[in-house]
Amino acid sequence: MERGVKNKQDFMDLSICTREKLAHVRDCKTGSSGIPVKLVTNLFNLDFPQDWQLYQYHVTYVPDLASRRLRIALLYSHSELSNKAKAFDGAILFLSQKLEEKVTELSSETQRGETIKMTITLKRELPSSSPVCIQVFNIIFRKILKKLSMYQIGRNFYNPSEPVEIPQHKLSLWPGFAISVSYFESKLLFSADVSYKVLRNETVLEFMTALCQRTGLSGFTQTCEKQLIGLIVLTRYNNRTYSIDDIDWSVKPTHTFQKRDGTEITYVDYYKQQYDITVSDLNQPMLVSLLKRKRNDNSEARLAHLIPELCFLTGLTDQATSNFQLMKAVAEKTRLPPSGRQQRLARLVDNIQRNTNARFELETWGLHFGSQISLTGRVVPSEKILMQDHICQPVSAADWSKDIRTCKILNAQSLNTWLILCSDRTEYVAESFLNCLRRVAGSMGFNVDYPKIIKVQENPAAFVRAVQQYVDPDVQLVMCILPSNQKTYYDSIKKYLSSDCPVPSQCVLARTLNKQGMMMSIATKIAMQMTCKIGGELWAVEIPLKSLMVVGIDVCKDALSKDVMVVGCVASVNPGITRWFSRCILQRTMTDVADCLKVFMTGALNKWYKYNHDLPARIIVYRAGVGDGQLKTLVEYEVPQLLSSVAGSSSNTSSRLSVIVVRKKCMPRFFTEMNRTVQNPPLGTVVDSEATRNEWYDFYLISQVACRGTVSPTYYNVIYDDNGLKPDHMQRLTFKLCHLYYNWPGIVSVPAPCQYAHKLTFLVAQSIHKEPSLELANHLFYL
Amino acid sequence: MPNRKASRNAYYFFVQEKIPELRRRGLPVARVADAIPYCSADWAKPVFTPLRRPGMLVPKQNVSPPDMSTLSLKGDQALLGGIFYFLNIFSHGELPPHCEQRFLPCEIGCVKYSLQEGIMADFHSFINPGEIPRGFRFHCQAASDSSHKIPISNFERGHNQATVLQNLYRFIHPNPGNWPPIYCKSDDRTRVNWCLKHMAKASEIRQDLQLLTVEDLVVGIYQQKFLKEPSKTWIRSLLDVAMWDYSSNTRCKWHEENDILFCALAVCKKIAYCISNSLATLFGIQLTEAHVPLQDYEASNSVTPKMVVLDAGRYQKLRVGSSGFSHFNSADQEQRSNTPIGDYPSRAKTSGQNSSVRGRGITRLLESISNSSSNIHKFSNCDTSLSSYMSQKDGYKSFSSLS
Repeated sequence: MERGVKNKQDFMDLSICTREKLAHVRDCKTGSSGIPVKLVTNLFNLDFPQDWQLYQYHVTYVPDLASRRLRIALLYSHSELSNKAKAFDGAILFLSQKLEEKVTELSSETQRGETIKMTITLKRELPSSSPVCIQVFNIIFRKILKKLSMYQIGRNFYNPSEPVEIPQHKLSLWPGFAISVSYFESKLLFSADVSYKVLRNETVLEFMTALCQRTGLSGFTQTCEKQLIGLIVLTRYNNRTYSIDDIDWSVKPTHTFQKRDGTEITYVDYYKQQYDITVSDLNQPMLVSLLKRKRNDNSEARLAHLIPELCFLTGLTDQATSNFQLMKAVAEKTRLPPSGRQQRLARLVDNIQRNTNARFELETWGLHFGSQISLTGRVVPSEKILMQDHICQPVSAADWSKDIRTCKILNAQSLNTWLILCSDRTEYVAESFLNCLRRVAGSMGFNVDYPKIIKVQENPAAFVRAVQQYVDPDVQLVMCILPSNQKTYYDSIKKYLSSDCPVPSQCVLARTLNKQGMMMSIATKIAMQMTCKIGGELWAVEIPLKSLMVVGIDVCKDALSKDVMVVGCVASVNPGITRWFSRCILQRTMTDVADCLKVFMTGALNKWYKYNHDLPARIIVYRAGVGDGQLKTLVEYEVPQLLSSVAGSSSNTSSRLSVIVVRKKCMPRFFTEMNRTVQNPPLGTVVDSEATRNEWYDFYLISQVACRGTVSPTYYNVIYDDNGLKPDHMQRLTFKLCHLYYNWPGIVSVPAPCQYAHKLTFLVAQSIHKEPSLELANHLFYL
Repeated sequence: MPNRKASRNAYYFFVQEKIPELRRRGLPVARVADAIPYCSADWAKPVFTPLRRPGMLVPKQNVSPPDMSTLSLKGDQALLGGIFYFLNIFSHGELPPHCEQRFLPCEIGCVKYSLQEGIMADFHSFINPGEIPRGFRFHCQAASDSSHKIPISNFERGHNQATVLQNLYRFIHPNPGNWPPIYCKSDDRTRVNWCLKHMAKASEIRQDLQLLTVEDLVVGIYQQKFLKEPSKTWIRSLLDVAMWDYSSNTRCKWHEENDILFCALAVCKKIAYCISNSLATLFGIQLTEAHVPLQDYEASNSVTPKMVVLDAGRYQKLRVGSSGFSHFNSADQEQRSNTPIGDYPSRAKTSGQNSSVRGRGITRLLESISNSSSNIHKFSNCDTSLSSYMSQKDGYKSFSSLS
């Protein structure tokens, strides 16, 4: 049920045609600059006859039947329909061939001898371009994957029969695919991406026994509850997942429960009858899972009792994710290089075409599985990094830390009055670090004076009290060397110094400073962060547009109160795009849509006016954190807010606005073919044809490198554009902006303002939980 | 609603707050309109008002100091002596609307407060939440873990709901007569109300408490004092501060020992601190330990054990007597005067020593000083004496023993 709703949201976006309103790209949205590069994709042609149509029928039953399963069985058993391609959910029936009559009456007999009359009425004839058809195509492919004996878990399909084992960590991975069918540009394409489900080769019962042996019986129930409750389990008899919400120690498998038809049966007998499984331990307690309620259903919560022996643990615990060896082993298997991905795709296609059932299903619908799509992308020229008195052409845009080592940064305030808080144990590292920091900071042109060092006890309260006592209006920055990564240290310090008493702060783990060989590079990184926090600028790229303001917006849910949305907005305030105005607003709504953009934009434009004595001629907004199905709200709700703030702030000339939705997760993957194998495409690869959508002004940009595995492109969708920049220029500007994130001397996967907004919202959502003081808004205090 | 009248914009309030100051300067200002010419310059420059040094406990500057002449002393007196109760009840999360049981009360905190006296008494208790509805153990556990961290079962400190409610009633209403109004933050009101009703059901005592919001109380006090309504944002910023989070004698013993910030008692006490710090000062009340945790700041001004301030500048010969650090110097001086052995290098005073004493040696010396048992002993004594003073003062021993 829920799945259907989710899918509908995906298709909702497709009906928002933003491109037709943008005159300059209505005819052509592709760029032309850069070096062409041949790319292979994970998309496949799906062919069907020109006059292909879908027929939608409505089916009613007399007398009415509640059971969906029974409805389907009765209809499918009918000879009239048995050899037709069909999709049926109990009420709506889709056929690829028209029935002879507009209204067809059928009757069937149930096992109990009851005669049921079924009336099938034609409702609509749908052309292949209809969004409903896309939905049906997706249903067809889900059926096909099931026929290849794959199981749907969540939204993806997995193959339990070919697990990848990691025996040393008791893990097994089920290989699988995320699939979808939709229209790209003009063609219907099938896309598939490799996915893995991590399972533990351990049943809950085995886990309990092991725990009992380790801890003994005293307090066993509590430790057991503590460890198990909240985990997700998978029952292999039906390949479904459940969350453990409770453990019922009073119920045993030999107890009875009431089936839906009202008869009583013991759990042991039920599993024997239903799945032919014999439960061996008759004294185990039962796991309790709270079943998801159907929408608008105010009935009592439904509980499912599960037998620990039959439940397998899934996913990784926190303990496991912090185990480096384990994560490495998992990554080795799951992060497939492009060639591995290509192989798996080829096998999937092969299976679909060879499996007779799957082929039959496709053919009866009149579909034909075609070839893999190759297309031509372009690699835009690499960018030069502008330093204070030096222009540097990095060897690789992925990391230019070595290239700029000898250069001075653009602009740095000198750090005269600052504090270091450390504990007794960390004092030595603090001092050696301070020396190192001063050395590296000096060479980058950032003058760091001696701080006042305050030694405090090792507890969060002592740190906070010392901060309260020693921070006064002249202090430029507080550095805290934290004895442990206990979250309260960081949270309490950040909370106090971001809102109660706004002073930039820098927290460093003592453990980080103990890594001897790394001291220089750690100090360099921290020095860069510190410069930014007190208003410095590190580097720039050449921006050909004068008077351009770029804005990044991201949203995030607050970690403490789930009904609070944290909206982070960051805007550049100088033409060189090196200084930023950042603001975070908390809003009490359930939706992921920002309704405070006007407040922010007005503030940002005032700041721009203050520094540049004019308003920006152009404003480009990058909006991240947009979920499926939200495009309409964005176009109708957020864009007008932005427009009104732009129009309201100036009387004579108004700034021109563009709004671009940025998505890090997207279905397509691109590979370059080289020496008869496939590889990741180079940095700066732009794709703006074939894998894009006809109704949108969109493109893909690869602005990150994957050292292991396959790189994922970032997807950009320009939903509003007054600026009328050529697609070429829009793409290159976006690429340039990916170079400006000051927390990493290299290119990042999204434009810098988005990354800043993300960092800000994350800090507020995780640690501060309230709006940071506006006094900090002119600095990148959240880096 | 603060901005009901169009004329009452931020500037209006700004000017209004400036009036007492202008009067003191001897300017003839009777109304806002008169004061506008004198305020424009101040309005143009950014107002920098946050409370920087909590140790100083300065009243927020965006609220002007009291102008006693304009007020009827009688009304003030009644307000100052008025007793308020701040109440909060924590729950193991909130269950979805279709459940009959929406909350599982697990901790209760309440303080008796007046502007004049500060916190006069407190009441705290853990509550036995009862059976957790089947299937919601994870939900409740997760909610607890993310906030107060009170164990959801087998927590031996939890008291029976009926007893707790009885004790609460005895705390807020020891003598027959009218029941006093009870206040909690507006965000918590639904929960506290529900829990009170639920506990009353369990205990069969029927007493409908009047639960009001602290926000309205602040509005009321402000209005009575200044005859105008403060903004909602101002109230929120007044009540939502992190500075008292770690103050001593604020959380209950259990939360203090386990170093967990979320404590029902602490929420109530922090409301009292915030109101004292921002409003009581406006009435010209001298803040005491009962108003805000002064003792922390007094104690830390005179060196808490193991907190040592070093001046890394001692390595550097050139930076002698720099003037930019005046505020640090004063802190140093305070330190020096209060420390038993005060002769470690402070840049301003002992600059001559800098060249001779260098490197780690001095650090080790200082460590030995700060670790010296006499020091620690002295201050731990100081702490206990303060807390015993507190408990004697409140005079409600019968209730504090309940927690």
